[in-house]
Amino acid sequence: MEQLQWHIITSENAAEVFAKLEADGIDPVLWGLTDKDFELLAKNFAQIRNKMVETNAILEKYQEYYESEEETKE
Amino acid sequence: MLGIRLFFIGLIATALAGGGFYVMKLQKDNAILKANAIKMESAIADQKTLIENQKKDFEAILTANKEMNDLIGKLKTDFADLDKRFNKKNRDVGLLAIQKTKAIERITNAASVKANRCIEIASGSPLTEKEINATKKSEINTECPSIANPNYIPY
Repeated sequence: MEQLQWHIITSENAAEVFAKLEADGIDPVLWGLTDKDFELLAKNFAQIRNKMVETNAILEKYQEYYESEEETKE
Repeated sequence: MLGIRLFFIGLIATALAGGGFYVMKLQKDNAILKANAIKMESAIADQKTLIENQKKDFEAILTANKEMNDLIGKLKTDFADLDKRFNKKNRDVGLLAIQKTKAIERITNAASVKANRCIEIASGSPLTEKEINATKKSEINTECPSIANPNYIPY
């Protein structure tokens, strides 16, 4: 997966952050989240991940079951 | 006199013929019974195999269910740990980010790398040797140790 860079902006460091972006040749614009929304984003991400793990585990169990049945038939 | 003799001869011949037919009928019935017994035995054997297979299936389902429940339990633990990182002892991540902006930024980016790796693992990416052999807290992927570090036992 692609890695992304998080920037934390407070009322105190905002000017510094934008100046650094410009100095690095990056457009001085950021998509923002509050601390609470960041927490929700992290939790949503974890829930999606857990659902993927669960679904994969179920698929593996079905695969084990049907493939062992085919082996028995052979 | 001759009539009586003929009558008895007829009677004996009829009795013999009747007996013969009766024995033949018994033999025929016996053959049918034997065939039925063979069919029954075969059906019983089939039923036994079916019951054994159902038993095996039932045990496999129970094992699979248990493993799924264990996995879901571990995933819930991971999720609870994530919640703790944000809210343990009334922790205010926003306030911490104001006070220690650079440190929290560093921690957030490191966690983001780990969370991405978790998605890769969840999508079927094989574990690395380092992930498999991780047993210490400092070595694990703290975002999803249950799937990333199979040899890690929380302490």
